[in-house]
Amino acid sequence: MHNQEHKLYGELGALARFVDHAMKAISAIGPQIMSSSTQLPTAASHLSDLSKMTEDGTLEVMRLTEMIQDNHGKIAKDISGVVEVLRAMDCASLAGRLGNVTSVLAQDGKCLTDIMTALSFQDLVAQRVKKLVAILDEVQGKLMELIVVFGLQESCEAARDAGTAEHLLKQLEESKTAAMKQQVADNILAQFGFK
Amino acid sequence: MPADPNMKILVVDDMVTMRRIVKNILKQLGFANVEEAENGQEALQKLQTDRYGFVVSDWNMPVMTGIDMLRAIRADEKLKTTPVLMVTAEAQQSNLVEAVQAGVSNYIVKPFTAEILQEKIAKIFK
Repeated sequence: MHNQEHKLYGELGALARFVDHAMKAISAIGPQIMSSSTQLPTAASHLSDLSKMTEDGTLEVMRLTEMIQDNHGKIAKDISGVVEVLRAMDCASLAGRLGNVTSVLAQDGKCLTDIMTALSFQDLVAQRVKKLVAILDEVQGKLMELIVVFGLQESCEAARDAGTAEHLLKQLEESKTAAMKQQVADNILAQFGFK
Repeated sequence: MPADPNMKILVVDDMVTMRRIVKNILKQLGFANVEEAENGQEALQKLQTDRYGFVVSDWNMPVMTGIDMLRAIRADEKLKTTPVLMVTAEAQQSNLVEAVQAGVSNYIVKPFTAEILQEKIAKIFK
C-alpha cells in the first residue's frame, strides 16, 4: 500500500513537471503565436485584394477582347459586301485577296475566343483564394483558442511562422491535385451511359 | 435535333467573369439570346417566369448551389425536362456521381475550351 502511494506520488510529480515544462514552452512561443494571430487577418485581406485585382484585370481584358471581336464582326461583314461587288464586277483576283483577309480574321476570331476562355483562370484563382481565406480564418480561430486557454500575453515582435505558410501551401497543392480533368470526367460519365 | 440558335439560354454563376466567358463563347457558337443569374435561386425565379432552351450552371454558389438548383428543376413538373449543363472546378468523382444522380444533362470541368462547350451542347441536343 505504502509502495503504491509512493509510486502514485512519483507519477503525479512527473506529471506536474511535464505540465510545468509544457506551460513554460507555450509561454515562450506566446509572442510568436500572438504575432502570427494578429497578422492573419491582414494576410486574408491581402488575398481578397489579390482576388479583386485579378477580377478587375480580367474584366478589362474581356472588355477589350469583346471590342475587337465586335470590330472583327463589322469588318468581316463589310468585306463580305465588297467581295460580292467585286465578283459581280468580275474582279476575281481582288475578291480572292479579300477572301484571304476574311480567313485571317476568322483565325484571329478563334484566338480571341481562346483568350476569353483562358481568362477562366480568374475564377479558379478566386476559388483558391476563398479556400485559403477559410483556412486562415480557421488557423486564426485555433490560435485565439490557444491564447485564451493559456492566457498568453501580447508581445508582438516580428515573429515569423514559416510552418503555417508551409502548411497552407501544402493544402493548396493538395486541393490542386483533387481536381479532375475533363477526360476523367467524361470516362465516369460514360459509365453512366453518357455517350 | 440540332440546338436552336434562337433559344434562350440561362448562364448561372456567382462569378461575373465566368458568366461573361460562357456568354461570349455561346455568342461565338451562334447563341445570342443568353441571360444570366448569380445563383440557383435567382435562376429558378427566371426559369419560372420565362422559357429557356437550356441552363449552363456553376456548382459552388452562395444562396443556392448548382446541384440544389438542378434537383429543384428536376422536381418541378414544368421545368424537369430542361437540359442542365454543369460547369465546375469541383470535379471530384463524388460530385460527378451526385450530379448524374440528380439528373445532370452533361458536365464540363474548368478550365474548358469553346470546343468542349460546343461538343457538350451538341450531345445534349443530339
